[in-house]
Parts: sequence; C-alpha cells; structure tokens
Amino acid sequence: MTALKIDGLTVTYANRPVLNELSLHVPSGAFATVLGPSGCGKTTLLRAIAGFISPFSGTIRFGDQLVSVSSIVVPPERRKVGYVAQEGALFPHLTVAQNIAFGITDNKVKSDLVAELLDLIGMSKFANRMPNELSGGQQTRVALARALAPEPKVMLLDEPFSALDAALRDDLRAEVSELLKNRKTTTLMVTHDREEALVVADLVALMRSGQFVQTGTPTEVYLDPVSPEVAISTGDVLLLSSTKDEAGKIDSVLTPTKLGTEFVSGKLVIRPEEIRIKPAGSGVAASVIDLDYYGHDAVVHLDAAGERINVRISGDLKVQVGDRVGLEHVGPIRWFPN
Amino acid sequence: MTLTRTPATPSGKTAGGIAVPRVLRLSAVLVLMLASIPLGYLVIRASGGGFDAAAAVLLREKTINMVFTTVALAILVALFSSLLGISSAWLIQRTNLPVSKLFLVLGTLTLAVPSYVSTYAWIALIPNFAGFWAAVFILTLTTSPYVLLASLAALRRIDATQEESARALGLNSVAVAKRVIWPQARPTVSASVLLAMLYVLSDFGAVSLLRVDTFTRVVHTMYKAAYDRSAAAVVAIILVLLAAILIYTEQRARGKAVAAKSGLGSIRLAPKVDLGWKKYLAASYLLAIATASIGVPIYVLVTRFISVSADINFSDLITAAISTLSAAFTGALMAMAFAIPLGILAARFRSKLSSWAEIGILLTHALPGVVIGLALVALGSNLGFLYQTLPLLAFSYAVLFLAKAVGSIRNSFARVPKVYDDISRSLGYTSWQTIRKVTIPIAAPGVITGFLLVLLTAMKELPATLMLRPTGFDTLATEIWTKTAISQYGQAAPYALLLVLVAAIPTYLLSRPDRAQPE
Amino acid sequence: MNLRKYFGLATVVALILSLTACAADSDQATGEGDSLSGTELTVYSGRSEEFIGPFFADFEAATGIELNVRYGDSAELAAQLLEEGDNSPADIFISQDAGSLGAVAEAGMLATLESEVLSLVPAEYAAASGNWVGITGRARVFAYDPIKVTELPTSIDDLLDPKWDGKIGFAPTNASFQGFVTALRQLRGDVAAEAWLTGLAANNPVPYEKNTMIVEAINAGQIEIGLTNHYYVYTVADGLGTEINVKDGFFAAGDPGNLINVSGAGVLNTAANSAGAVELIKFLLSDESQNRFVTDTYEYSVLPNIPAPQDLPSFLEIGSPIVDLDALKDVRKTQEMLIRAGLL
Repeated sequence: MTALKIDGLTVTYANRPVLNELSLHVPSGAFATVLGPSGCGKTTLLRAIAGFISPFSGTIRFGDQLVSVSSIVVPPERRKVGYVAQEGALFPHLTVAQNIAFGITDNKVKSDLVAELLDLIGMSKFANRMPNELSGGQQTRVALARALAPEPKVMLLDEPFSALDAALRDDLRAEVSELLKNRKTTTLMVTHDREEALVVADLVALMRSGQFVQTGTPTEVYLDPVSPEVAISTGDVLLLSSTKDEAGKIDSVLTPTKLGTEFVSGKLVIRPEEIRIKPAGSGVAASVIDLDYYGHDAVVHLDAAGERINVRISGDLKVQVGDRVGLEHVGPIRWFPN
Repeated sequence: MTLTRTPATPSGKTAGGIAVPRVLRLSAVLVLMLASIPLGYLVIRASGGGFDAAAAVLLREKTINMVFTTVALAILVALFSSLLGISSAWLIQRTNLPVSKLFLVLGTLTLAVPSYVSTYAWIALIPNFAGFWAAVFILTLTTSPYVLLASLAALRRIDATQEESARALGLNSVAVAKRVIWPQARPTVSASVLLAMLYVLSDFGAVSLLRVDTFTRVVHTMYKAAYDRSAAAVVAIILVLLAAILIYTEQRARGKAVAAKSGLGSIRLAPKVDLGWKKYLAASYLLAIATASIGVPIYVLVTRFISVSADINFSDLITAAISTLSAAFTGALMAMAFAIPLGILAARFRSKLSSWAEIGILLTHALPGVVIGLALVALGSNLGFLYQTLPLLAFSYAVLFLAKAVGSIRNSFARVPKVYDDISRSLGYTSWQTIRKVTIPIAAPGVITGFLLVLLTAMKELPATLMLRPTGFDTLATEIWTKTAISQYGQAAPYALLLVLVAAIPTYLLSRPDRAQPE
Repeated sequence: MNLRKYFGLATVVALILSLTACAADSDQATGEGDSLSGTELTVYSGRSEEFIGPFFADFEAATGIELNVRYGDSAELAAQLLEEGDNSPADIFISQDAGSLGAVAEAGMLATLESEVLSLVPAEYAAASGNWVGITGRARVFAYDPIKVTELPTSIDDLLDPKWDGKIGFAPTNASFQGFVTALRQLRGDVAAEAWLTGLAANNPVPYEKNTMIVEAINAGQIEIGLTNHYYVYTVADGLGTEINVKDGFFAAGDPGNLINVSGAGVLNTAANSAGAVELIKFLLSDESQNRFVTDTYEYSVLPNIPAPQDLPSFLEIGSPIVDLDALKDVRKTQEMLIRAGLL
C-alpha cells in the first residue's frame, strides 16, 4: 500500500504562489480530507498531486516513488492516481460499463473487473446505460468505480458530493468512505463542507490561502484548534471576549473569575454544545431570547449580562422564549490572546 | 481556482498535463505549410515582375469602383445573409412555426445548389437579370444557409435557465435577446458571417455571369486573356490583403468565446414562442426564401431537362456522379486529417502557431479557385506521378475548403470540458491517447459537420477541378461547364440536376438536429 | 454517434468510388495493355469535347494511338502549361485562338513543326516561327437582330455613331475580342486603335462574359448588335434547339472588323510522343476532317480547297485584313488599352 507524502509544495500562477510550502503526510490506506473555503487552493493541490499541473518547487511522493520534484514531473498517466471530479464527469459518449472499463489495460480481466465494480457500487443493472440516463448519485458512484478500476495508489476526490442533495449526500459519503477504507486505498478528498471533512476522515488538513493552518485527526482539529479561525472553520463556536491574568486565570461572562492586577485581553472559544442549560439560580444567569429548532437538535439564543450566547441542546425542548435560566460551561478552556 | 486550470505560464513549462502532444504541433506546422502553398505561390509569382502591368490595372479610376464594389458586395451579402439566416434560425428553433423541420431541410438544401447554377436559372427566368443587386441577391441566397446552421447551433446551446433568470431580473424578450442570447451566439454566428464574406470575395461563377466587377473576376480576366501571371498575382495579393482586413475585423468584433454552460448537465431548451396567426406569415417568408434559392433553379433545370430528355447519356451521367463523389469524399477525408489536429490545437493549446495556421487557412479561403489551381499545378507538376491524379485533386479540395472544416471542429473541441482530459490522464492515457479516445469522440458531431461541409462544397468546385483532375476524369461540375461553355443548357440540365440531387444527401445530414448541434 | 464507424464508412465509400471511377475510366480508354511510348498521346484541348471529341475518336480508331484528352478553357490551359513548364505531361496543345498558342510559344515551350506540316496550310494561317499551325478559321462578325437593324454597318467605325448607344454587345474578357483589338492595333497603330476604343466606350456597349451570351441577348431583344465570332449564332441556335432572331453580318472588305482568326495546334518541346502529336495535326488537317469542321461546327477550313460553310461568304468574299496571327499574343498592351478606355 502507498502513503502520500507532500513536502514543501509550492505552485505558482502568474508568478504568485497559489500553494505555499505545503507539507502533508497521509499514511497508507488512510482517508484524509482537505478543508478550506473556495479559492484557497485545494483543487490546485489535487491537480498537482494528479500531475495535471507542474509545481514550482517541493516534492510529492507516492510511497517511496518520487512523482514530482521541481525538475522531474511524472505525467499523470504514469502516476496511478484515481480522480473523481465534481459531478462525476462521466464520459458522455460511453456507457456505464465502458466508462468503468476505460482505465483497465488488461483485456483478460476487463469484463470480470467491470462486473465486480458494478456489483460493488450496486449498479449491475445499469451497465449499458448512458451517463445522461443516470441520477446524480449514480453518476458519482460510476465515477468512483471508474477511478478504482485501475487500482490506483492514491485516490483523489474533488468535492464529489457537492452537487447532490443532503440526504443522498450523507448516505453516499458513508458508502464511499467505507468502500475506500475497506480497500485500504489512500485517499485525499477536498471539500468546503466542514461536516463532510470531519465525518469520514482519519486525517484533516485545514487550508487557508494556499497554506495548511492545522493538520490532525478530526477530534484534534475540532477540539483543539490552533486559532479561533480554525475553530470557526470546523464548526459553530462562541467567541467570548475575555481576559487572562499572569496566573492563568480567565475571566469571561461564562467563567466569572477574580483576576490579578496584570491581565491581557483575548478570546475564549467555546463550542455551543459545551454549555449546559440549568434551572435559574444555578450557574450564570441568562434569559432565552430566541430558539432555532432543527428537529434532532436546537440552538437556544440567550442573553447573559449583555452578551449573546448560543447553546446547542437536544431536540426535546425544555425551554421557551422568555425563560430565565442558568448557564454552565462544561468543556475545555481554549483561550487566545487578541 | 479556475485560474490554475490553464497552463501555469503560457510559454513556460511543458511538463506534466500541459504538454502539447508533438503529433499535434507537427501537424499544425504541416497544415500551416500546406495552407500557405497558394499564398507562397502568389508571392513568388508577384516577385517575378508584373508590378508595371498590375499598376496599369490598379492605378485607374475603375479600381476604386472595383474595391468599392467588392467591399460593398461582401458587406451587403453579410448583412442580408445574417438577417435571413438568423431570422430563419429563430423561427425554426424558437417558434411554433408549422412544419419547421421541413423548413430546416429546405433552408440548408440551398447549399446543394452551386451559385453558378442558380445564377443561370435566374438568368433563364429573367433575361435582364444582371448587375450588382442581382449579385447581392444570389450570393445572399447562397451564403445564408451557413449563417442559418451556425445560428441554429448557437440557439441550441443556450440553456433556458439563463433566459428565465434574465426575465426574472426584469428584462423583456428583446433585452434578453440582446444581452443574454446574442453575446453567447455572437462568436459562432460571426464566424459564419466571415465565411460568407470570404465566399463573396472568392466567388467567380455568380459575379461573372451577372457582370459585376469584383477582384476575383478581374484576377480571372487577367489569367484568361493576358497570360500575365505576375500581374494577376499582384492583384490577387491585394485581394488577400482585403481578406486579411475582414478577418482581422471579425476577430476583433467576435469577442471572447464564452463557455457554453457552467456545469456538465444537459441543456434544457427554452419553450417555443407561440406566434399565433403570424406563424403563417413566418411560413410564407421561409417559403419565399426556399422558392428563390432552390425552387427556381430546380424548376428551370427540370423544364430544360424535360426538353432534352430524349438524348441523355446515362452512363456518362453516372460516371460523372461517381467521379464527383469519389473526389469529394477523398478531399473531405483529407481535410479532416488536416483540420482535426489544428482544431484541437486551436481549442486546447492556443498559441501563435495555431493562430497563424487559422489565419493562413482563412486567407486561402478567400482566394479564387483558379489561383489555388495554378498554385497546385506549379507545385504538382514537379511531383511527377502524383500530378493530375485523384489524390492531388482531393488535396486541392482539402486546401481550398479547410476553413469550412476548422471552424466547426475548433468550436466543438472547445466545448468539450477539460475535466474529461484530466480524468482520462489519471486513468493512464497519454495526452495523445486522450485526444483520440475522449476528446474526438465527444466532439464527433462537430467533426462530422465539418466533414459534410467540405464534402458538399468540393462536389460543386470547378476551377481547380478543371486543372487538377486526372485526364479524362469528368465530374458533374466539369460536365456542366463543358455543356454551358457551348451554350448547351439543355444538355447541362441533367448534370446540374444530378449534382443538386447528390449534394442534397450531405446537406440533408447537415440539417438534422443532432448534427447542427455540436455538443 | 460513433466517429470511427462514420469515417471508416466514409473511407470505404471513397475507396469503392475511386475504384469504380478508375474502372469506368479504363473502360472508356480503348487500347490498354501495351505501354509502348508511341501508343499514347496527351492532348490539352481548348476546343470543347462536343466539337472535337468525335474527331479524336476517329483518330484513335484509325491509328491505334490512345488519346488522353484534357479539356479546358484555351487561356486557362495556356496558363496551366506555363505553370507546368518542362514538367508538363502534355504532348500537344489545341487552342481556340492564336493568342493562347502564341503565349505558350513565346515561353519557348512549343517545338518548331516540320515544313511538311506547315506547308499544308497557307502561310497566313500558321505562325511565322513555325511553332503552331491553324486548324480552323473563324471570322469576326457583327451578329444582329434582323428585325430591328435594317441599315447594316459597313465598318467598325460606323459603330461609333451615337445611334448605337447602349445597343452594342461585346465580350471584353474574351480572347476573341482581345485578339480583334490586337489586330486593330497592328492595322491602324496604337493611337488610332485606342481612339476607336474610346469612341466605342462612349457608346456604352454592354459587356458579356461569353460570346454566346451576346447572341442570346440579341435574341432576347436586350441589345441589337454584337461583336462576336461567326459560329456563335449557330451554336446558340443548336443549344436552344430552335430558330433564333439573330444573323451574322460582315463589314466591308478589308475592314479590321472582318478579321479571320484561327484555332490551332502546337506540339510541346517536352512531348513524349511528338510523332503521335504530328500525326494528330495531320489528321485534323486532312480534307475529310476539314470538311467535317465546316459542316458540323460551321467553321471555316484553313485549306484553300474546302468551301465555306453553308450560307456564309468565302474568305475571299469577306476580304479579311492581313495580320500576323502570331503577334496576337501581345494582349498585355491591348488589355492596358482596354483598361484605359474603361472597357475592361
């Protein structure tokens, strides 16, 4: 199996860096995601790994094989990468089976392999359909099967689910990640959907303006962000203005503390699910000013001493607008200076 | 992020995915060389003196008239064939016109009638039919099908969602046409109008019969009577310069080609406009055009045909038809071999080389057939066994009509999303294999359109055919020439009728909806 | 849509058609098989197949020499020959007019004919250089509408009378008209010739692309008179298959408008079969062939002993001016003159 190692990768466009000194190690068989807003360079990263563009500097390795240093760039057709584009991009002139067979060079195994892959994606009945006769989800499945057929060393997924509707997306995502993990295919998926980035990944890299700002497991990046911005990019947060004294004590509306004389101002980063709502009288006093009801859960908007605080609670509502309650912070303390 | 989808630096690295396949680059160089044979010939001939004689031709009052006539003819024909072509396309594609499919076939069928045949027919009908406006009339009818086909293809590529969004933003239908549809249709339509203008520059049949002094007629006159090839070459070079101005203006005015659609999904066509009772008015309008462009020629040919039906040599007729088809088929296949690499290069790896090759082809397209014929005679007579053989004749067709093929091929390649290239490369195909297995098959309808256009035009070609055909090889066009040269119009009629009939086959294929829509 | 299938099919079709075309071709060609150099002859013919094809067929039958004939316009074939130069596959060039032959001869591409051939025709119907020989004669005439034109012109100068304003047809791009103007220059000098052209231009003559169109225009009543060759009246009548309201008229004897021009033939220097080419010329100049030209195409014979076409005056009666036909190739100056006069 093949690990993916990227070191010091820089890609320029019109003499300006689009990717700046990126390094990322994806262990063999792991599923890594790159999360970032559109325009941050994540598709460029995929294209550099696939070999569609030539980097300015840095190296890309598939296992021990160097596929890209500044002087030697292995062309894409000799890298053995799988590539699934947005909306699948099935060849419109070929049937489903022909699409899947496209990358298989060994004619002896071709038909067996196609049948096997069709079975794997549950589309055996669709072998002779044309792409325009398939639904969006089916197209994505076929695109995945097509990419898997030549047994790639590294699988690259470029926002493959972004065009699909929510329910289908969750199912298909689970299905695809399970399939890839079962086959122990080293995978790198780029996405701008923070939930998608976390839910399937073994490893998450957060990208901003052509650089990785944090790399780690989903829990690491979610629970231990290196900055308030990273925290925001991986999920909802409460940013509370706060002060910290030289002894490390932190004062905020949720953590009222007496501080020493020397202190600096900063921000406390709290996830909405890290606050408990208690009966009035316990914890910090607050009043309910609004409710967002999502069914499976809900977000309660509260006012505590003039600060707006959002709390995520489970769906069985126990509060209503106008209630006076108490708030208790139960999560880790994440404090960043201004 | 889309910025990075184009090569990192235009001239820079050729490694990785942005390499231009060597096969393509070589073939573009080859095509450029082939396309410049006639131009090179003209330069060599012109440099052999002839400036004095050419000056005598050019430095006179009549020259100003000739330039004015040629330019005015080109512009008026462009204007009228745009009006005719675009309006017909709109009526056929976007309204509830009765029997719209029939009108589409009739509208394109005009392509099957050579301009010299329709001119003869109109002269037979109206003996006084001659002069500038007669030429405008005939050439408009001859060239409007090109605009019709291009406009249809453009209309069929515009998704209804865009129009609906524009309407929702408060634009009325006129504003939608002006601000949403036209900007997208313009590159395709304006390229077809350029071809129409270049056709006017190079046409000899209609202008000579109608006695209109254009550059091409003068070039012919000089070749015919003066035996002074140098002077004729100087005049032809001025014709090339005129064509260059037209090409430059068009490329400036064309604007940037826009991507047909943002996603990969299929197009939803806008619903048809209900014309109410006016649909009969629209139908009469299209019927009038069809009558003028194919009704009259066929009526005249059939009446003449009936008058001589007693002594038709059927075996000669069939032999000529087979010869016409074999030369045109071979020529169209050769044109494809040249046009496909160039089309890919122009669509995918735009460079100075591809731009020059395209311009060279367009300039060649403006040249009178007699110039191309003589250029290939000069070259071909040195080739020994190849001279006056079918392959060389076919080659001359490919050089003459390459411009017709390259346009539609380039456009259809430009519309193949680049992501297909990426996928194919990631699946182990080299960039050349990718072109063969993915790009060309997806662009197939446009490629076939180009093939049919060359096939059709080559069937009607005369001046180069006369010079380059194998000795004793008679095509339908040369037989028509032979008969009409000695005023045997009745004898020519069956050949002309058969030519129209045979040419109607590729024309019909061109008019089929899946053909006119290179997607 | 499978592109490969499509073009595969197209290639197969092209191949089959080409083979059929070749087969049809060799069916037509008679004596195949032996490739002796003397048995094939390549002819560039500016005379149309309709008018000379039957002669060629008889020649093939009589001699066993296989003819490969390339038909075309005389001037265009001359231009083609000049482009081909030494590589020309042609053995013999048959032209509708002396000018085209002169141009090819001037480029040094025509061989000097044996005196045995040259002596067959009167000296005025062959090139002084001996490079080509006349085959048939054609008289310049005015074709006219016998109903409208009652008072016939006796000289080309009569045509300058304002009463002809807009009623004269001519074919300025045609070699036959330019040959006449070149002869006029020879006879009257450049100054007088140009004065005549300027006078003609003042009468707003109607230009036509072809001589036949002049006759057709007279028949249609669009013009009353036209400068053309004598046989076009017959050609048009034959083409239409009916009687036409056009007649040939001759100017007074000795008038430049009565020029006799010739169609002719020359043998290429580079001919692979020059013996065969000379054979063909001899065949065309035989009494039998010459009589046939007179009866079939209403042309004049270049042989003194053959009578004029039916209903037409003999050369003697016409009284054509004496000109050097070989010099009719000097059309460049003629064209410049026509251009200055605003006629071209």
